Amino acid sequence: MPSDSLLPGQPVPLPRGPTLKLGSGIYTRNGETRASLFGTPQHQGSSVTISRIKPHPPAPNSIVLGSITRLSPQQAVVSITVVDGVPLPPGEDFTGVIRVQDIRATEKDKVKVGDCFRGGDVIKGLVISLGDARSYYITTARNDLGVIFATSEAGGTMEAVSWQEMRCRKTGKVEKRKCAKPEGL
Amino acid sequence: MAQGGFDRRRVHGPNESFQPIFDDDYEERGALYKGWQLGQTRRKRRAEDIRPIFLNTGFIKQANGSAYIETERTKIACAVYGPRQSKSSAYHEAGRLSVEVKFAPFSSLVRRAPIRDAEDRSVANLVQQAIAPSVRLDLLPKSVIDIFITVIECDGIESCVAAATVATSTSLAKAGIEMFGLVVSCAGAVVGDDVWLDPTEEETQLASGMLLCACMPALGTTTSVRQTGRVFPAKAFQSLQLCQERCVEIHHIVAQALHEDENESNS
Repeated sequence: MPSDSLLPGQPVPLPRGPTLKLGSGIYTRNGETRASLFGTPQHQGSSVTISRIKPHPPAPNSIVLGSITRLSPQQAVVSITVVDGVPLPPGEDFTGVIRVQDIRATEKDKVKVGDCFRGGDVIKGLVISLGDARSYYITTARNDLGVIFATSEAGGTMEAVSWQEMRCRKTGKVEKRKCAKPEGL
Repeated sequence: MAQGGFDRRRVHGPNESFQPIFDDDYEERGALYKGWQLGQTRRKRRAEDIRPIFLNTGFIKQANGSAYIETERTKIACAVYGPRQSKSSAYHEAGRLSVEVKFAPFSSLVRRAPIRDAEDRSVANLVQQAIAPSVRLDLLPKSVIDIFITVIECDGIESCVAAATVATSTSLAKAGIEMFGLVVSCAGAVVGDDVWLDPTEEETQLASGMLLCACMPALGTTTSVRQTGRVFPAKAFQSLQLCQERCVEIHHIVAQALHEDENESNS
């Protein structure tokens, strides 16, 4: 074969020396290390992986982007559209849930869902568990997590002015949100 | 698909029309085994020969992975979507494969109505059983992989299942879904004392029994075996052996198709 690509099931050639950590796309079976994806193995430090930039379902510790679709006093429902920086194909979004106790890290008992999110807000969150059959559980209890884009009642784009307030650029009105700390601040 | 301004009351046919092309060697095919008697050799090819395989990947652009396989009169298209969120309400620790097979109305000599019948589902089950042990479903909790197989032309149902299995495994590899190995499959028909590999529809009718074998040649394991009809144990083992030998060759074809596709996307 002219290329270095491995087929699923083909043994992965490993250099002699210290044992490497096996990353994604590689498995061991009966003591033999084999590829489970079609691609070229890459060595990064002490690990070897076969990586494919493909949309994949959320897993615990994935960073996800999504928009708020529904609000209730107990939780906010999110339609996840980006997982670990890879956008999902249109119409193949996953549903996630931000429970009221997962919205912020402090004073959890004083949180009101309506003062943190509104329908249509784009949020950045961290998947904490696979959740129940219908949805993944997401948390925004970190400074860099929360609302990253929102529109005001007047329809203008809002910018974060504090960790729990956003101001409309058109009308100057201030609305409450659980803001994500903007990157590079 | 609600389209604005689309007139639903009229037939929206294409502007041009063409006369349908009729199968001209239909009678010749039916006459191939005329006057054949038990004990005679196979006609047109040797007993252990399979039909030449054409395999192509990535022709359905919107699918995550797709493949088209053609072995003379068997033509199958396969598309893989997902992993998607499972629609069912139950929680599944491992992912699931949902296989759907559709026969085109013109896929066999007798017209097939475009509804789901028993044959669609049995073919889907056989493909699912052959493929499922190869996919690392434990890595995809709560997800489902949708596999859609369209049989454009079918010549021998066992060979059709085998070709569909090969196409599905190729599509999964193209889609970047983690699996233990590529699954390839081959069918054998027991005719008298001989085993005819990759039988056509006419040859299936002459056979006393059939054997369908799916395996992963890279790992040297078998994922599924199905035997129908009357086959002596010795004959069954012999067919299994022959199928597995042939599967190694089919595996090379799959590898070649995947490498070709990779070279095309790189250049």
